[in-house]
Amino acid sequence: MEDIVKKRIKQVLKGDQSAFEEIVSLYQNRLYQVCYRMLGNRHEAEDIAQEAFIRAYINLHTFDQKRKFSTWLYRIATNLCIDRIRKKKPDTFLDAPVPGTDGLDHYSSLAHDSPLPEEEVEKMEQQERVQYEISRLPDKYRSAIVLRYIEELPLQEISEILELPLGTVKTRIHRGREALRKQMKKL
Amino acid sequence: MKPCPEEIVQYMHDYLDGEITRRDEQILSEHLEKCQACQKHMDQLSRSVAFLKSASHIEAPEGFSDRIMASLPKERQGAGVRR
Repeated sequence: MEDIVKKRIKQVLKGDQSAFEEIVSLYQNRLYQVCYRMLGNRHEAEDIAQEAFIRAYINLHTFDQKRKFSTWLYRIATNLCIDRIRKKKPDTFLDAPVPGTDGLDHYSSLAHDSPLPEEEVEKMEQQERVQYEISRLPDKYRSAIVLRYIEELPLQEISEILELPLGTVKTRIHRGREALRKQMKKL
Repeated sequence: MKPCPEEIVQYMHDYLDGEITRRDEQILSEHLEKCQACQKHMDQLSRSVAFLKSASHIEAPEGFSDRIMASLPKERQGAGVRR
């Protein structure tokens, strides 16, 4: 698949815009899914996934063709999702480090939405509950967890997408699992 | 009761990452056999993972790729015909 993609990239770079369509078809579901799981909202997911493809198209000449295209595309999309999540949060004291959190700031400690009462959560359908629990994860853990368990990517690839050392990715996945465990203790 | 060795939780995560050494796995399983609290911890972690994996596959909405193609800038910078 990467071979077809590389051929199409060369065509796009030569000015054949229509060659981009096959690239979009190949990756649209994966990219939309990541955005949906990160943002928890279909409208926003479409908006951001579309933006990611447009940015990929505009910046295609900067893609290193020796690398894996999907990694580059996922990176664009996850960065856009993280930006979007941060913009939605209240903007006071966000950069202040939180004591005892190993350099994590308030961005990562703020939950996506305020937690719902327990009775509400218990009434949820399974799939609604999955998305709810993912959206409660601090975003630093959320991106790693989504790439690991929704996209089922290897740790090494997640480290390349998020541009983080492998050890940091592992730590975030470990903490993400612990956070989820605590959220779901009563399940 | 003496506290559990600190590295046990780390071994649980190594195990879930599929990156545990045979020796550590042995230590973990021996510990889990005799420690209910850690057994419960491991069980909760495994269930959290299974729960995540139960998320259904999501597909892009109808007409998504058409909308992307329609919204691309007409010509890429530095490529195509210049007018």
